[in-house]
Amino acid sequence: MSIAPLSSDQRDALQELTNIAMGQAGASLASILDTFVNLSVPRTNILGVDKVSAAISDLVGRDFEITAVRQSFQGYLRGEAIVIYGQDGCKELADLMGYDEELDKAAERELLLDVSNVLVGACLGGLTEQLKGIAESDKAGELSFAAPSIMAESVPVDTLINPDKLSWTHALLMEVNFTLESRNFVSHLIMLMPEEAIEKMRGILDEFIASF
Amino acid sequence: MARKMLIKALPTTWDVEITQAANGKEAMVAYRAGKADVMFLDLTMPEMDGFQVLEALQKEDLNSFVIVVSADIQPIAQERVKKMGAIAFIKKPVTAEVITEVLKKYGVYEVL
Repeated sequence: MSIAPLSSDQRDALQELTNIAMGQAGASLASILDTFVNLSVPRTNILGVDKVSAAISDLVGRDFEITAVRQSFQGYLRGEAIVIYGQDGCKELADLMGYDEELDKAAERELLLDVSNVLVGACLGGLTEQLKGIAESDKAGELSFAAPSIMAESVPVDTLINPDKLSWTHALLMEVNFTLESRNFVSHLIMLMPEEAIEKMRGILDEFIASF
Repeated sequence: MARKMLIKALPTTWDVEITQAANGKEAMVAYRAGKADVMFLDLTMPEMDGFQVLEALQKEDLNSFVIVVSADIQPIAQERVKKMGAIAFIKKPVTAEVITEVLKKYGVYEVL
């Protein structure tokens, strides 16, 4: 199955919809951490699955050790959401939330899962809300999540995804990241969607573009 | 796309010339050319973001009504842009009702 790249209008539209969605995720994170969160300009691309790992390394920074949480979603669209933190993501979050030394490893992991779940839920929820507003089909508003799970802890970023394990041929990759002004913290929220979700997304983007 | 969404939400009877900028740097060029009596400013932009534009405008006497239109809905972001001279904050996605209300409230758009 061959997948056309996004046209520049489609990419522009998707970036704007993602921007609105990430604003909600950023506000949730700001409220959890009680600090101001810088939001990145969203980055989107359609790739063959063999290129996904390298693309994520480029977005996060090569040679970076990371901790990551994944959460799959389905509904009108389907795919995987991955939240990537620095090597000591668990501890960083616990520190930011003022837990100091009080948390054991299990509690830190639970915190990591909770925060990731909030980010993914806010971002995908925000995106779906807009898709629903644009699409003719009522089904565009359907969205459900699996429970989040820890995907990797303190591993080199280029080992995060094994393309042999993905049954997809292509992926739509969407990335946003959150940084803090006062602390050395970064979190990347990455969404990956397979080919049939790409075509549904493309259809909605085209409807959106045609409305202007 | 952000710009198209905004332009579509502007009152159709508002007799103005619209200049678009793809990022903060282009916005400053347009501002310096005297093309920004009113500026609708996004915060999340490449090259130069909205906070940096507000900072630059303050250094240059801020001779413009700046209305921030952003998806960054953190309360701190809203406080911060107002401290930096923006007259209003509108959250995305924008609607014609909200834009018109803000323009009227600040006397930027007089009803004909």
